[in-house]
Amino acid sequence: MIRRILDFVLILLFVWVCMILGLWVIDGVIVPMRLPGIAEGLLTSALKVGASAGLVLFWLWLWREIVKKMFWRAMRKQ
Amino acid sequence: MLNETIIFAAGFAVSLAVMPFHIKKMKKKHIGGIDVHKKDKPFIPQMGGLVVLAGITASILVAVMLSPETLSTSMSFLATILITGLVGAVDDFKTLNAKVKPFLTLFAGLPILVLHTYNPTGLVFPFIGQTRMTIIYPFLVPLVMAVTSNAVNMMDPFNGTMSGPCTIITIIMLLSALLLGRSEALVLCLCLLGPLLVFFFYNKFPAKVFSGDVGSLSIGAALGAIAIIGRLEVVALVALMPQIMNAFYGLSSMGRLYERREVSRPVAILEDGRLMATKDPTAPITLARVVLARGPLREDEAAKIFLVLATISGVLALATAYLIMVTP
Repeated sequence: MIRRILDFVLILLFVWVCMILGLWVIDGVIVPMRLPGIAEGLLTSALKVGASAGLVLFWLWLWREIVKKMFWRAMRKQ
Repeated sequence: MLNETIIFAAGFAVSLAVMPFHIKKMKKKHIGGIDVHKKDKPFIPQMGGLVVLAGITASILVAVMLSPETLSTSMSFLATILITGLVGAVDDFKTLNAKVKPFLTLFAGLPILVLHTYNPTGLVFPFIGQTRMTIIYPFLVPLVMAVTSNAVNMMDPFNGTMSGPCTIITIIMLLSALLLGRSEALVLCLCLLGPLLVFFFYNKFPAKVFSGDVGSLSIGAALGAIAIIGRLEVVALVALMPQIMNAFYGLSSMGRLYERREVSRPVAILEDGRLMATKDPTAPITLARVVLARGPLREDEAAKIFLVLATISGVLALATAYLIMVTP
């Protein structure tokens, strides 16, 4: 029982820490970013939105892969 | 403080008084379902969500009487949950298509948009603080209603696994509202908490009543509405992580929206009454299946894990509320 709960605690913590770190990266790195050769405007904003969206998608993909691996490994052991 | 106690007591008392009659009536009319995770497959009366709706309505009416300035927030909240309740009631009698149901729940966001009871500037994040999302945010409101109502609706595999975690989430949102000084959220949480506590008492293992989609969709929508009206969006997102995880695992493993009656069952029952995860690769990877992946469990043990998960994500939600509070 404890082992099962621990699995989920680790996943929940991972997801939460990634979310908080992701927000910090978006706020501290992506938003203030100045792109050389590109003037501030629509293109820069679009690139920043794209980078943030990419980060979110990577987070979701990582989350899905961890759970999938954990699930099928546990099933095989059973 | 007295007003808040009266608001909470109204919903609690109405639900407590009505629930036994509702169960009797549903049994008499034979409206219910089979509890498939029990060996003897008992018949359980359904649509307990109607009692939750009655309790919330009573609390809201009392809140409006006690503080008339909350009329627009209270009415948008009530209209939101009544719309999703209606969609759920239709689904309980005539199963809706897997795409139609989420589409219809989008309309639950309309009362909030029409009565303009959302924060027009947008989301408040930890570290970032108040964002400016004046154009995008109104489009997110219906989406949030559809996501929360359907995510809660999808996580109802065992007795008490919808009502228990939702009760914990409501308490966490109430504490967050206190921490962040969001008075609208505080009142709405109290309106939801009373009926939910009563429903959890009747729905916990062994269940005496099922919520039906009328209950799960409207409770999910109520949590979404509290998040938007009370400006607790990010806190709600973290508190609802088990529900979101469940929906995300299910949808990503199936690769499409699905109705639970049309796919292989992710959980099977053993001879001794314990539950086990099926090995069927075509069944969705739901949270219940992941919980049971390490080996069979009794239904009450599996349900307890869901409560523990809700409590852990609740603690993380409170930590998020604290980070929002200290963000300049």
